[in-house]
Formats: sequence, structure tokens, C-alpha cells
Amino acid sequence: MSNEDGPVKATQVKLVLLGEAAVGKSSLVMRFCSNDFNENTSPTIGAAFLTQKCRLENRIVKFEIWDTAGQERFHSLAPMYYRNAAAAVVVYDITKASSLEKAKAWVKELQRQANPNIVIALVGNKLDLVSDESGASVAPKSKPAAEEPANEAEESETDAEDDATPPPPATTAAAGDDSSDSLRQVSKEEADEYAKEAKLLFFEASAKTGANVSELFTEIAKNIPDETPTKPAAAQGQAGRRNGARQGADSGVDLGERQQGKKGGCC
Amino acid sequence: MSLPMHLRNYKEKSKDEQTRDFFNVPVWDAVPSPNEEPVTTKPRGVKDGSSSGGLQGMDINAVLSVEGKEEVYAGRLSLLPPFLCFISLDRRSCRCTLPLYTIRRVERLNSRAGVFALSLATWHGMRIILQLTSLLPTAEHFSILLRDALKSQLTSMKSLKPFLPSLYSEYLLTTSSSSAQQQNPDHLLLGTELGEKSGTAAGNDGEGDLRGPGGDGKGSYQRGLGETFGFPGDARKMRERSKMKLWKEYFMIHGRNFTLLRYPPFQRLLQVGLPSRLRGELWEVMSGSIYLRFANPQTYSLLLSNNKGKSSQSTDEIEKDLNRSLPEYKAYQTEEGLARLRRVLVAYSFRNPELGYCQALNIVVAGLLIYMSEDQAFWLLEVLCDRILPGYYSPSMEGTLLDQRVFEALVQRCLPMIKDHFASVDVQLSVASLPWFLSLYINSMPLIFAFRIVDCVLAMGVKVLFQIGLAVLKINGEALLEVTDDGMFISLMRDYFSTIGDSAHPNHPDPRVRAITNFQELLVVAFREFNIITDDTIQAERRRLRAIISDEIEKFSKRAAVRNLKKVGSFDKDEIGSIYDYYFTAVCSPDGGPANGGSGSSSPKFGDQFDQPRLQVDAQGRVETRIDLKTFRVFLSEIATWAREETVTTNAFIQRTERRLADHELIDRLFYSWDTQAQGTLSLQDVVIGLDRVMHAGLMESIEWFFNLHDKDKDGFLTKDEVIQLSESLLFVFRNEPGDIYLAAVSKFILNAYEFGDANSPHPISSPDGVPRGDQESASHVRERSDSTSGPHNLPYLNLATFRMVVLADELLEGFFGHDLAASFQLDKTVDEDYHQAHQKPEGILGGLMNLVVTNENKSRLNRLADGFGAALGKHAEWRKPSLAKTLPSSSSQLSELGTRESLLTPAQQEQRRNRSVSAASQASARSTSSSVGTPESRSLADVEAKYREEQDLVRQAQEAVMHRPNFAIDAIGDSDGEEEEEEGEGGRGADDAVMDEVEAFLKAHGDDDGGLKGEQKKQAEDLLKAEPMGGGVSANNKPGRPSGEGGLIDL
Ligand SMILES: Nc1nc2c(ncn2[C@@H]2O[C@H](COP(=O)(O)OP(=O)(O)OP(=O)(O)O)[C@@H](O)[C@H]2O)c(=O)[nH]1
Ligand SMILES: [Mg+2]
Repeated sequence: MSNEDGPVKATQVKLVLLGEAAVGKSSLVMRFCSNDFNENTSPTIGAAFLTQKCRLENRIVKFEIWDTAGQERFHSLAPMYYRNAAAAVVVYDITKASSLEKAKAWVKELQRQANPNIVIALVGNKLDLVSDESGASVAPKSKPAAEEPANEAEESETDAEDDATPPPPATTAAAGDDSSDSLRQVSKEEADEYAKEAKLLFFEASAKTGANVSELFTEIAKNIPDETPTKPAAAQGQAGRRNGARQGADSGVDLGERQQGKKGGCC
Repeated sequence: MSLPMHLRNYKEKSKDEQTRDFFNVPVWDAVPSPNEEPVTTKPRGVKDGSSSGGLQGMDINAVLSVEGKEEVYAGRLSLLPPFLCFISLDRRSCRCTLPLYTIRRVERLNSRAGVFALSLATWHGMRIILQLTSLLPTAEHFSILLRDALKSQLTSMKSLKPFLPSLYSEYLLTTSSSSAQQQNPDHLLLGTELGEKSGTAAGNDGEGDLRGPGGDGKGSYQRGLGETFGFPGDARKMRERSKMKLWKEYFMIHGRNFTLLRYPPFQRLLQVGLPSRLRGELWEVMSGSIYLRFANPQTYSLLLSNNKGKSSQSTDEIEKDLNRSLPEYKAYQTEEGLARLRRVLVAYSFRNPELGYCQALNIVVAGLLIYMSEDQAFWLLEVLCDRILPGYYSPSMEGTLLDQRVFEALVQRCLPMIKDHFASVDVQLSVASLPWFLSLYINSMPLIFAFRIVDCVLAMGVKVLFQIGLAVLKINGEALLEVTDDGMFISLMRDYFSTIGDSAHPNHPDPRVRAITNFQELLVVAFREFNIITDDTIQAERRRLRAIISDEIEKFSKRAAVRNLKKVGSFDKDEIGSIYDYYFTAVCSPDGGPANGGSGSSSPKFGDQFDQPRLQVDAQGRVETRIDLKTFRVFLSEIATWAREETVTTNAFIQRTERRLADHELIDRLFYSWDTQAQGTLSLQDVVIGLDRVMHAGLMESIEWFFNLHDKDKDGFLTKDEVIQLSESLLFVFRNEPGDIYLAAVSKFILNAYEFGDANSPHPISSPDGVPRGDQESASHVRERSDSTSGPHNLPYLNLATFRMVVLADELLEGFFGHDLAASFQLDKTVDEDYHQAHQKPEGILGGLMNLVVTNENKSRLNRLADGFGAALGKHAEWRKPSLAKTLPSSSSQLSELGTRESLLTPAQQEQRRNRSVSAASQASARSTSSSVGTPESRSLADVEAKYREEQDLVRQAQEAVMHRPNFAIDAIGDSDGEEEEEEGEGGRGADDAVMDEVEAFLKAHGDDDGGLKGEQKKQAEDLLKAEPMGGGVSANNKPGRPSGEGGLIDL
């Protein structure tokens, strides 16, 4: 339907980033939105909000990104941000095994409590720390996200499956670089297997080098249904759309008084 | 997984605590006299306001004036040992908090008849006249209490002198003014922006000149990173020198640091922004954290040295955030700055392990450390977490969530258009406002402005955060009404804050108006239009909304805990939910509580004085709620019918069932068998797995499970002793069953076990004398005999197959293992869905009455009252509920029959001295029979009537309390005369004048009336200044020639 309106019309997609503290959620967003990387970012308090467009062959997807705080005690706030989300990026740090456990818990929570059609991507970040060239070989560095050719993401996915046998990605120079590779605590296979099992998109990426970052968002965009019924053009019928989207959503610790009443109505 | 049980222990603050909070006075326990043994753990415990080291506090009406000052204020004087505090009647013009150790001398003045006046000489040479305007006996009583409190502080006074050099104001007032005057014009160019400062000595001097004397090793005052790395902002633009001059003048007249009085100019100087060099000290003085630093001189360094090298989840989290704390500030790009930040956060995480570390604290502390030393920042952090922002940073962040809800409610009241619009487009305020509150706006707007808000928060309390938030929304009101989603809202706020230093009226023809910044406008709106938001407003809203938030947090953590279980066995979601509820209820119950300390080597040692439930830190340093044996008993008593004693009492009015915990080795066995990792505590997961095994077991599994429970060394054999223990367990479970069939079954079991055991034993039995003969032989006799012969009783004796055979030989036991045992665990209770809302104190007069009945104490009182009546009428009766019959649909006829039936187990068990529990239980049942006879318990009707009166008094008190609740005065929104635009100074005037212009703007905004006394009263107070002391008085420094000590004190 939206195709008939022409390619200029952007589909709005609410996307939420979740994952343990300091795995690099904000950095991934910064890479995607402003193609930049900063060693010293502030930890996210509550959540940060950014937008970025992503151009596909036949349409434009406008991401409204909620970058949440990672520390456990902010957990009760998360439902406020993932309610109505059409997509979620669950991030772990491939140099920290415990962060994958946390990621799994997030996936579980999303699958139970969030919008039932939510597209979830699992991302192992900080790929640059384990091998210099695997990131580079997979994707050219620092590609502006908006003009992303659509085929790159596929490439990286096949890549992932080819690599399924030995622990380090099967790139030629990997063996010579064991000092950095020893940092890896989560093997690509383990995470990939889990992602398949839980039906998630999966990427290993680096916010620092930019490897796989735009691929990640492009792939998510492709997986979002063309016309999202949850996002009709602004202003009209908002109440209806929100209520519809909220079905099955977790209430969390609801910060709005008003939502109290509404929640009772639909759950 | 950590449970939010502290929510259930929450108590509203008492009046005394509120007064202490208002004056920033710490609880007594937090201010040991400096020569006491230093303690690093946080004082908690007795939250009893009266605990003030045996010293009594008191409030009295008084009139305050200061030598050399015109103003005279009527107000309320509070003695809160070891502090003396005053607040003027209008609650804003004049206030002070004087530690008694800064009062050198107190004299009663010889004044007109009927006037009781005291003269206080403070450490800094100020003379304060206090006229106690209450009745004479009251005033005299007050002065006696004051005298006692003063005497107790003589030792603290000795510590004052060495402490004072840590304060900048002392340095400021003791350096010659000439050094502050020498000015080098070049230096005006320096210190322009953050970190732009040149490293040369000349540069430092120059900044020193602009910022006031000091810097670069001059003076021994405690200093923040700003002294080395430069303070944020342009010193000249911020008119630092003029501000410092004004403060210096203020200090000379109104006292400084410990003896600072807040007079109206204080408020104005505060709101134009504190000068950088003085900021740290004023922060600790205004917030009261200086009293903690003074009283606990070694705590900070001890915390660091005692915990050196330790790591925990908190220290890991801190480490992650160090590089992410105001990274744009130069000091935090250096090891020195990061090390300070690390030490303060780590020390606090060990001081308050329950809170540990919360993201946002790194930002707040990074901000504090620019202006304060580590020690200063540490204590201010404690005051922030405990008092100013309570619960903001705790693991469940209930304070943050609550205040967000309060903020929403205030927006609804003050700015209904915005709130309604947000409701219609489904935008939540807290997506933007949450970080404002959590990081005190430090992360939301440029630092120089954020710190001015921090100034006001520390001086006036949390209400400032709300006032600023409301003002931000109001100022952006029009644009906010155009917002259609969360994202637009966030961007709008971000844009506003990024231009907060710009002119609010850039196109205005008048340059004075153009000079007004958005930030100035924000403060004026916040403090003028929203000055109706008072501490009381916030407290009332918090009271109203707390229960809702608490319930939401509990439900949320329940969902999370249930979801995060790795194994749930054959339980369905609802059953897991009720296991969680029982577990949580047990943790919160007064008898229970989570486990203390434990095995985690990294877990900090908790002080004994904690009365709050504690969390356990596991080997990975993660915080987890686990239960110990004591709490497990509570938990099990809720689930397993035989793990509790239920006494049914009927009296003339009602029938009620009272529950107590049962105590038996069997319960301990269960606990230790479920504690598979031998931690001494159980997690929710352990409990779920444990319950799954017993509740979903078939006959054979059940038998095996019970066998294993008693096979201590797990060799597949029970020893003779263990056979006896196993039968005791059975007897324990059956103890309240009616009839003698269960006893008979157990006796038969023992006989058979010994018979088959002897036959099949892997060890030849030398003397099979332990086998009792005859069905009437009681179990305890068997036990006694088997105890008497030691040797073979510890050897492997009965294996599982034999045990199974013996059990299956008895129909009753077969039924027990096949069905009754599993069924004796019941998960069907429906727990309060909204605990906090259900337990919220209802309001109104009827509510007042309800509250009385609802408290447990009164419930039991009422019960006793009813029992008294029942006994008087001869209708009081009690009986025990059986355990297994409870699993069947109980027929009432059967139950009532039980009352008259004697427990058959009793005589046997009473001989068992080894088994405390069972005998205790039987004693209890013996007691219950005697009480039904009625002699000791019964009361005369006069007694009953007296009780009833007492009850009524309580009701009346409650009603009065309800009537006195303060009203919410939001309707009384003040007149807005829109004059702020004309209040700025003229362009070409000097810097000092410009500061004063800003000051004047605030003066106008707050109304000119300083609330001072006029006319006759004022004259009287002036007379007092000239009055002679009556002779006598307290003199702390024992000046020779002055009467002092015991004799003189009495005259006071
Ligand atoms: N080497 C490397 N470092 C990274 C990468 N991504 C992030 N980092 C670093 O990891 C740290 C944390 O990054 P953030 O993006 O702030 O992490 P976050 O997940 O947003 O953290 P919270 O907001 O606390 O939940 C920063 O110091 C980053 O510089 C990456 O791809 N490679
Ligand atoms: Mg972040």
C-alpha cells in the first residue's frame, strides 16, 4: 500500500537498544546516527533518544531509537521504552561472557512482554577487540548508513554460517593474532546457534570500526513489514494505535499515572 | 535476584525526624563524638527519634536577634542535641543550625520582668540573643535541657579548632585583604573556558585573584579538582570576585561555616550562583554533611584501607563508568581525577553495600569533586542518598520512580494543559524528566548552570528539582503542546537546555532585557511561580503515591524473578508465582528476613546494628536475596501444613485461627537437603527445585526422598539412629492428627524396621535389645533404649529396599507417601495482589479508626479483649488443627470434636528432652487446655472496660492526627506580575553592581518582606542586646574569673 504513495514516504520504526551496561549500546547508536565513535561517552541515564533514516530499495525507514541504560537497577524502567517498539537490538560484549547471559534474559523478556511482532536482533559488539581484519573484511569501515546498499547484510549473514566450524572467524590472518583473540569470551558459533534457536537476527559488530553497524540496521529495516499498522501517519488515531500496540506489552513500573487506568482496560 | 523487601519495611518519618531533616541535622547515631571508636558501617538500627544519646530535645517559641544587626525574628527554637536550631515564623527569612560545640558561652540575661532571654556567644565571636517567649517554667526547662546538652559537647569542642582550617571561609577571612586585591589585568583573559587555563604559576595566581584568594597550595583548606584543573566557566563573566566579596562581607556579620546564620541576603547570594572556591564548603554547610565529616573524621580513610583490593559487583560497575563521568572535564582525562572519583564511589559502596553503586552517581560525584575534596564529597554523597534524594539510587530505585510520579501529579495540577495534551498523544514525562532528577540536571544542561541548580537543591531541598522541572515545562509550554511523540518531546528539551545560556529576549530593544538569559528566566519562573511547591506538598504527594509505586515494583520484580528461574520443574506459572509470594512474604516477615553475610568471600561484613533486611553478595559479587534457616521455617510454615501450629480459638464473638511456626529437625533436614551447594542459605531457585521434588513425586520417589532425607552420609543405609530420627520425623508430621492410628502405624514401622533391619543388616548385630515389644510401647521408649547402647547404632543398618518394604507393609504409611505427604504442601493461598495499597493507611476519620485496628498490636489486643469476654461468658475454647486432615475438605463436625480430644502423642513426647520442638508444641497444647478453663486468662468485666477505654483513646488520638494534616495549597498560585524583565541592571555599570542587580531581581521575585519584627517587639530585642548577664551561665572555654561549672549552670 505504501508503495503506491511513492518512495519518499518514510515508515517510522520504533527501535529499542537493550543490554548490559557498557557493552556499547550508545556507541552503536552513535556510529549509526552520526558515524562517529567516542571512547568516553557518559553512561546512559534512563534512556537517550535519537533518530536516523535508513534507505532501502523501495522505501525509507525512519528509526526512532531508544538507547536505554544498561545497569540492572534501571531494568524496571525498560518497559517504558520498549512498549510499542517494532524492533529491538539486544547487545552483548563478545569479550565478556556474562553479557551474553544478560542478553538472553532480555530476549526472553521481550518475547514474553513486548509487542508480539517485534523484530529482535542480537549483536555481539566490540568485534575490533578480537581481530583486526574480520571486521574489515566483512564490511567497509565508516559507511554512512543512509545510503546503504542492500546486499551487504546478506553477505555478512552467509559469512556467519561459513564460519561455523572453528572458534575464530575463518579469516586468514586470525591465527597470527592470538593475543587479541584471547579477549574473546563468546564464540560466534555459540551466539549464532542461540540466535537461530530464538529466531533472532544476529551480527557481530564494532561500534569503534563501524563493522556491520549499518548492515545491522538495514537488515532490521528489511524485516519490518512494509506498512506497519502500528504507525499510521502522525496525529490521527493515536490512541487507537497505541492501545493496539500495547496488547501483550509489559507494564513494568509505569511512571505515568494515566497509564494505570488504561492498562486495566486492555490487559 | 534481589527482592525489594525494604519497601515493606518503609516507615513514614516521625515528626522529630522531619524536624531533624528540615534543619539538616543528622540522626544522633551518625554523630559520634570525635574521640569515640570510629565505625565505618552505616548507623541504622533504632529509627527512634528519641535516641539522642540520652539527651532530650525540646521546641520552644523564641525571638532571635544578633548583635550588630537590625533584624529581629520571631520563630521556633528547637533543641535537637547536639544542635540548636531556629526558624523564623515565615519559614524562610531566618534560620540556623548551630552545633552546640560551636557555642562558647551561654548566659541568661538580666532583663525586664517576665522576659526570659539567653545570650549565646559563638565560636566566631557572634553574639546571638534568644528571647524565649513561652511561659517561664517552660523557658526554664528548656534552658536546663540546653545546659545538659551543652555539657555533653565539651569534648567535641576540642576537635573544632583542628578541623576549621579545612574550610575555605576560615582561610578567606584570615588572609589579608591586600593579597586579594593585587590584580593583573592580563589575568582577566585567563580562565575563560573550562580547561583553557594555562598551567603557569602566573596563570594560577591570576585566577586566584578572580576567584578569590587561595589556590596553588595557598591555605590548607580542602579543595576540589577545580583548584588544579580549573573551575568550569569564565571567572570574569561569572563575576566571581564580586560574589566572593559579598560572601566575605556576609560571613563577617552572619557567621560562617558551622555558625552561619541564614538571613535574607543569603538566599539572594545563593541564587546568583556560589563562587567556585567557596562552593564546596557551602554545599557541605547547607546540606549538613559537614556535621558528619566533623563527627567521623576517620571513616572515609578507614573505609578505603579496610576494603583495599576488594572487588564486588559495585566496584566492577564503578570501573566501567569511571571513564564515562563528565569526560569533557579535563581532570577526568587524568589518572588523578579518575582515582579520586573511584575512591569516593568505592568507599561509599562499601559503606552502604545495599545501595552499592548506581549509574548517575558517577556523574553526580564527578560534579561534586570539582568543588570538594574526597572526604567532603563522600559525606555529601551520604546526605544525598539518605536524606535529600531518598531511595533514588537504591537497587529498586523506588525513590526515583516515586518522585517521577509525584512530578507527574504536580504537572497535572499546575500545568493541566500540558499534562492533558501529553495524555492525548501518549507521551510520558519521565522519558525526559527522569535524568533531570537522577543526575540533578548535571547531565542535562551546561555544567555552570547545572551547578547553580545543585546550589539551590542543597540549600533548599528536593523541591527545587520539581520547581525547576515545572518551570522548564511552563517556559516551553507552547512548543510542548505541539509535541506528538516521545521523540519530539526529548528533542525539544534537548534544544532548550543547549540554549539555556542564550538571551531569553534576543530581539528586545532594551539591552538590559536582552541580557537576561534563559537560565535566569528559568530560575525566576521556578522560584516565583512554583514557590507554592513546598516540602509539605512533596511529602503529601509521596505519601499518596508510595503504595502504588511499591506495588508496581514488587509486581515487576516478581515477574522478573519468575522469568529468570532456570528450572521450574512441573510447576505452572501461577504455582511459581505463589511460591515466589510465599518466599517473599517470608523474607519480609518479622521472624524472617534474608540471610546475613554468608559464604561470599567478597561480601562486606555487615554490622550487627542493621535492622533492615540485608542482601547477600554472591561469589561473583552479585546481589541476591537468599533465605537462611530461620526464614525458611517461616516460608515452610506457610506452605506445609505440618510445619506450623494452628490453634483455633472460639470465644463468644468469633472463631479465629492463630498460626505459629513449628520447630523440628525435619524442617532443618529439608533446608540442608535443598541447599545443594552447601551455602547455608537457599535461593528462590533452590526452593522451587526442592518443592518440585517433593510435591510432584510418586509413591516410590516419595519414599526414596524421605529415606535420603534421613541418610546423612548418603551411603544408601540408615543407621539405627537414623531409623529412630526418621520415625520421629513421622511422628512430628502426625503430631496433631486425631486418633491413635498414626501412632500405631509409626510404632509398627519401628518394629518392622528393626526386624527386617536385623535380618538384612550388613553388620552382625551384637545385641538386638533395642527392639521394643508390643504395640503399646511408645516411640520414645524405643529411642531411649536405642540411645543407651551406643556402638552399632551408628553403623549402616537399613537400606532403601528394606525401608520401602517396611513402609509398604502399612496402609497408612503407604497412603502418606503416596499422597498425603505431597498434598501437605499447599500453594493455593491467594496473596495480596496490591500489598501496599491494601495496607496503605486509609485517610479520613474512619480511616483513623481503621488504622488502629489494622496494626498487629491492636489486632492482638482486640483478640485478647474478645477472649476476655469469651472467658467471662464461659465460651472460650481452643484446639489444634491437624496437619493431614487440613488437606482434606474439613468437616466442621470433625473439627469441633477435636477440641475435646486429647493428643495421644503428648505423653510420649514429653519424655523426649532432646527434642525441644515437639515438647514445646505439646506444652503449648497443654497450656491451651488450661487457658480454656479460664483462671489466669479470664478478666473481670472492669478490666475489660478499662481496655476498651484505652482503645478509645487511641482512636481519638488518631482522629486528631488526621484532622491536623496540612492542606495542599496549590490553588493559591501567587500573582504573576511579569516584572522580571525590568529587573536587570544597566549596561555600563560595574561587575559588583551587576551581581547586585541579579540579587535584587530575586529580592523582588520573593517579595521584599523579610519577615522581621517591627515596632515594640523589635525595641525589646534591641534592649536585650544591652542587657547584663545575670551572673552564672555556661562557659565552655572556662575563662578565668567567670563563674562556670556546675554551680553557675543552675542559674541559667
Ligand atoms: N573497542 C571497542 N570499544 C567499544 C565499542 N563500543 C563501545 N566501546 C566502549 O565501551 C564503553 C561503553 O560504551 P557505551 O556505548 O557507553 O555503552 P552502553 O552500552 O551505552 O552503556 P550504558 O549506557 O551504561 O548502558 C565505552 O568506553 C566505549 O568506548 C567497540 O565496538 N569497540
Ligand atoms: Mg549507553
